[in-house]
Amino acid sequence: MSALLKLQDITVKGRSQPRLDRVSLQVDAGERIALLGPSGAGKSTLLAVANGLLTPQQGRVFWQGEARARSGRARRRQQARIGTLWQDLRLIEELTVQQNLNAARLAVWGWPRALLNLLMPLETKACTTMLQRLDLDPALLNQPVSALSGGQRQRVALARLLRQEPQLLLADEPVASLDPRLASELLTLLLELANPPRALLLSLHRPDLLAGFDRVLGLRAGRLVFDQPMASLEPGQLEELYAGTPGA
Amino acid sequence: MRPAAPLWVLLPALIVLPLLALLPGISHGGGWELVGQFAAAALRPSLDPIVLGSVLGGLAVTAGMALLGWAGSLVLGLVLGIASSRVVWRTCYGSAAPASWIRRLLAIPRSIHELLWGLLLLQVVGLQPVVAVVAIAIPFGALVARVVSDLLDALPTASLEALRCGGSPAPTALLTALGPPLLPQVISYSGYRLECALRSATLLGVFGLGGLGTELRLTLQSLAFNELWSGLWLLLAVMLLLETLMGWLRRRWAMPARLGLSQRGVGSQGQEMVAVAMAMLPVLVLVAWRLEVQPATLLQWQGLPPLGAADWGAVAALPWPRLIGNTLVLTLVAAALAVGLAPLLLLLATPWPAAGALVRGLWALGRLWPPPLTALLLLFVLQPGVLTGALALGFHNLGILGRLLLEAAETSGGNKEQALLAAGVGPRLALLYGRFSGLARPYLAYGAYRADVILRESVVVGLVGATGLGSQLLEALSSFAGDQLLALVLAYALLTLLGEDLSDRARQWLLETPHGDGHPQEAGGTWR
Repeated sequence: MSALLKLQDITVKGRSQPRLDRVSLQVDAGERIALLGPSGAGKSTLLAVANGLLTPQQGRVFWQGEARARSGRARRRQQARIGTLWQDLRLIEELTVQQNLNAARLAVWGWPRALLNLLMPLETKACTTMLQRLDLDPALLNQPVSALSGGQRQRVALARLLRQEPQLLLADEPVASLDPRLASELLTLLLELANPPRALLLSLHRPDLLAGFDRVLGLRAGRLVFDQPMASLEPGQLEELYAGTPGA
Repeated sequence: MRPAAPLWVLLPALIVLPLLALLPGISHGGGWELVGQFAAAALRPSLDPIVLGSVLGGLAVTAGMALLGWAGSLVLGLVLGIASSRVVWRTCYGSAAPASWIRRLLAIPRSIHELLWGLLLLQVVGLQPVVAVVAIAIPFGALVARVVSDLLDALPTASLEALRCGGSPAPTALLTALGPPLLPQVISYSGYRLECALRSATLLGVFGLGGLGTELRLTLQSLAFNELWSGLWLLLAVMLLLETLMGWLRRRWAMPARLGLSQRGVGSQGQEMVAVAMAMLPVLVLVAWRLEVQPATLLQWQGLPPLGAADWGAVAALPWPRLIGNTLVLTLVAAALAVGLAPLLLLLATPWPAAGALVRGLWALGRLWPPPLTALLLLFVLQPGVLTGALALGFHNLGILGRLLLEAAETSGGNKEQALLAAGVGPRLALLYGRFSGLARPYLAYGAYRADVILRESVVVGLVGATGLGSQLLEALSSFAGDQLLALVLAYALLTLLGEDLSDRARQWLLETPHGDGHPQEAGGTWR
């Protein structure tokens, strides 16, 4: 399988200790990877390096075999192929569902279309398809996001992620603040959406939700302590990963 | 077709299009050379020790007047604010009716600009150091009173009721239950008022009440641009220092922000605040002594020229529709320019740090540069009139709104902007969608308040040639036409009260969140 994202010896400095310490990993198309680790292990930092929000002090990032562009359009083109599902969703409350879905296309749209999106409904058919795919009523398109329920918001955030047409899905602790039913529903959806050629890299705080992932990464104090197929993960490795952390 | 929130903040900038079409018509082009000399002098301010000494002396007087006027307005505002609070009257007296009457009465001094107070007092008691101080203290005090009473009436009353039920006397219960939550908000607001007082003191100086403003006007009129820039750079340094100090104190004391977006803390480190307030007292006494501010001189009226019998027919014959219409057009154009250009410039400058710094510098100049001086400068190339006045007022308020927008943008909506940037969206579109969406309502609510302030300020450029109620007021003042003066001041007061009511309604409408989850509920409602 072809490598989508490759991180090579990534180091991100922190105040007292590195947030990431010489981390290397590769995400191939079609892989569904869970990133585990206690709070403060560096999971969010790793995802921020992956989606380009953070530039590491050391190490190199490759997207589809090409070194990550330093800035400008080339970098934005690469970032447009990586979609992130945020823990707090980061939907734009003041806009309608349709405007939020279309916001995912801003990286490829020019200014005229971006402004038109704030004036009138654009690309209704594509947006309707996205909502239907996530079992949402297309009538929600004209609703402001602030009027949606918690479950609807989760799905709209997923629909926006898909509307971006990313090849790599990143998710930063997406189930951290959800009740068990919503958490399992969201994970199932994410795993379904990450069919080849897409890939999924998802950070998790709870090892009990690992079913369905192909590969699992363990991060502790900024270091990658294991990277192996899910099937070969031993309970002892998890205990070691979380040893000494509250609730372990 | 209904524009979405991020576009709301940009729509007022459309005013630029008709303005660009109209500007050639009012341009006389005779003074471009002078404007060039003015701009070039910015890089070569005079370093002559005599000039610097004079500028520093003027600045000290302006800062002193501002400090004393500000302190007076706080004392007045606190006393009158408590006296016009519904909750205070209800607790002490059983009925809130007197509070409503006091609030209505306070609307009159509030509606009259400090410049008008200054010029009126100048006529009555002559050029005394106390005039500028009182001219600032009266309208600012009435403004602080309204804010204090609004804040008091908005505080939760559960603890007050509990204390009253326990038998506490009304004053003690009010002080214990409402004092601690009120204090940080009042101190935070008073910080903003000090910045405003410095601007107002400079403005009063432009109209001859002493201090740096007088120096600035004289150097501009004598085309001594290098000397003018010595004063401007110094004023800019002081203004930025004050803003930085206030920003630091707000963060240190966890004060509520002006747009109320980022935090609404109840404040902390109360002892430190009280200590700072106490330390101010000897400073104020010293400043008053140095400036020879003697309140008793307010009672020594100078001999006024004999006022003729009132000629109400002549008053009625004034071109009222044109005067009021021009004042309103001036206000609306200036407000649209200020409200619309600030986000537009921020958007344009976003990708380039150097452009951002340039825009910030421009806004800082706009804030400190008194609008009458801008109007005078514009007269080098434009004819006097409504548009020239509107440009001057718009530039000044652009500086104020720009800074506020920047403050709010730096503390809100960062996550959404970041999410868009991570998805490969360009910095401008990420700012527009990610930050301006959430900022639109509170920013425009503040803009509505600013329009109300601009209406009051329109007198300032009216006095330097922009037609409207302001120009007429100058004529009435200089010709001692008491009847006209009274009618015009009343007309101004009525107009500004009407504007205040309209802007209150606009703010209320803008801050109503459609689904009841809105964070900016409290924004703009009280900050004035």
